[in-house]
Amino acid sequence: MIWLSWRQQRTETLIAAVVFAIVVAVVLPTGLHIASVYDDQNIAACLAHPTEACRGNLDNFLVRWDSVVNIVTWFNLVPAVIGILLATPVVLEFERGTYRLAWTQSVTRGRWLAVRLALIGIGALLSGLLLTALMTWWRGPLDDVGSRLQYGFDFEGLVPTAYTFFAAALALAIGVVLRRTGTAIGLAFVVFFVLRIGILGWGREHYQAAVHKSWTTGEGPDLRGAWILSDVRGLRLAGGGAPDPRVIDSCLERSTKRLDSACLAQHHVVEYGGATFQPADRFWTFQAIEAGIFGALTVALVLFAVWWIRKRIN
Amino acid sequence: MTAIPAVQTQALGKRYGSKWALRDCTLAIPPGSVTALVGPNGAGKTTLLHLAISLIEPSAGDVRVLGWSAREQPQLVLPRVGFVAQDHPLYRGFKLVEMLRVGRELNPHWDDELARGRLARLGIPLDQKIGKLSGGQQAQVALTLALAKRPELLVLDEPVASLDPLARREFLQSLMEAVAEGGLTVVLSSHIVAELERVCDHLVILAAGGIRLAGSIEEIVGSHRLLTGPRAEAATIARTHAVVQSSHTERQTTLLVRANGQFADPRWQIEEVGLEDIVLAYLGQMAETPIVDPWQEEVAS
Repeated sequence: MIWLSWRQQRTETLIAAVVFAIVVAVVLPTGLHIASVYDDQNIAACLAHPTEACRGNLDNFLVRWDSVVNIVTWFNLVPAVIGILLATPVVLEFERGTYRLAWTQSVTRGRWLAVRLALIGIGALLSGLLLTALMTWWRGPLDDVGSRLQYGFDFEGLVPTAYTFFAAALALAIGVVLRRTGTAIGLAFVVFFVLRIGILGWGREHYQAAVHKSWTTGEGPDLRGAWILSDVRGLRLAGGGAPDPRVIDSCLERSTKRLDSACLAQHHVVEYGGATFQPADRFWTFQAIEAGIFGALTVALVLFAVWWIRKRIN
Repeated sequence: MTAIPAVQTQALGKRYGSKWALRDCTLAIPPGSVTALVGPNGAGKTTLLHLAISLIEPSAGDVRVLGWSAREQPQLVLPRVGFVAQDHPLYRGFKLVEMLRVGRELNPHWDDELARGRLARLGIPLDQKIGKLSGGQQAQVALTLALAKRPELLVLDEPVASLDPLARREFLQSLMEAVAEGGLTVVLSSHIVAELERVCDHLVILAAGGIRLAGSIEEIVGSHRLLTGPRAEAATIARTHAVVQSSHTERQTTLLVRANGQFADPRWQIEEVGLEDIVLAYLGQMAETPIVDPWQEEVAS
């Protein structure tokens, strides 16, 4: 039974291997490069003791990788592709009617289903962990400098594995109902990304109430690791009201393009600002919540699929 | 001691939504028999076979295979039953050797020698991909897989429907050879009556979800007669014998009857009837007198 399940997953495993080869081909050279620049520019030292001189390096370091980060964003497809791929052989079994062959061997239907589901689960677990490991290594330097909560969330911690499980369960549930592999794959993709993008855009930031901070002097707190939802920065007169633009212009140091704090104080102009954000230390709480959501959906879909297979097939 | 029927159903029914695909089916298939299940498409043949091997669950009644309920004791029934589904589904991407490995790993009584021997005799190469085999060869592979389980009961759903006449003949030939080795009960469904008489010794006629006639072919052929005689006397015949089909000319009447005793009236000309004509008569009878809408019947009861 295990051999049969493995044999039926063979093509899909091969495709999954190709997908991961692509991921590695992108992630390995760029990751090594990012790490070497991180070392060359002494980013770690700067993070430990941020001096005025090296702070520019930090900002530049993040901006520098924008284009490659954009490419890597496409790897958000990987959990969906792999998960759906894992479920396809079982769906094919129902589309082609070969389940009638499988269920009339000497193995009971319950055992057949258990082995098939176990193999899908193992595949989802391994590929989820592999993607997580690759991406966590790749994003390491970027997470040190920037916000892991905001930019690294989709690729790290628990969620990539949870997404993979969810995609597999979704394709399985849709597939056993429709018994059309092509349609099931397409529909699973659409539902997967509607949900992922919906949660990413509108759900995740509400897992815990956002923190709001405002300040009236200097640049405010260090929010480098935080997920900033909105922020405002500006200048006003100490007694209230808008400052004269000419005054501000006169306080601008031409060489550094920075405002001279002493000059501003002299003209009773104060810097103020405020930010609404999710603190960096909520990363694992948010991971647990999101993985919990997709995990619960996975369990529900698998239970539904099992019920459907046992009760509604034929 | 009476032998346990290979398949026994008791008021068996299967409903899809409000429509009964099979209804009130009570039947015993004797062990060692080769039974043909005939009827038009949609008569409920596949439903009955799927119920028997527990691919689907009944909505009413009970079915036992070799004395056991396949639903309650699948581990006892499954190894003893071979099944070839309609269109003989196989893993098309597998090589034949891989398909045999599936059989070996999934069945405790698997007879690898039998499987390889059969395929060698049929000239089907083991390293061939199944998807590349002809329809007839695929049917033979499916039969081989079912036989190599060493089943006591072999169930075949429309095994020859998709085959050309030559492949059909070859398939039935190799099925008969397997039966000749003994110890095997076969139930096969077909909407083609011709050729079945050579293979089968029992017959079940199914139409519109119900059993019309069941028995040994010998008994069925022996008890049915075609009578031709005076039209005026038709009612008298109908009083003693079961009229299956009748047709009339102005003065003469032709009746296909299931005889209940002797025919005393010398004015009737009596002829024997072939199996195919009997089957067609029973199926034609259904077309003339449709059964009561099951839903209404349910409401009435």
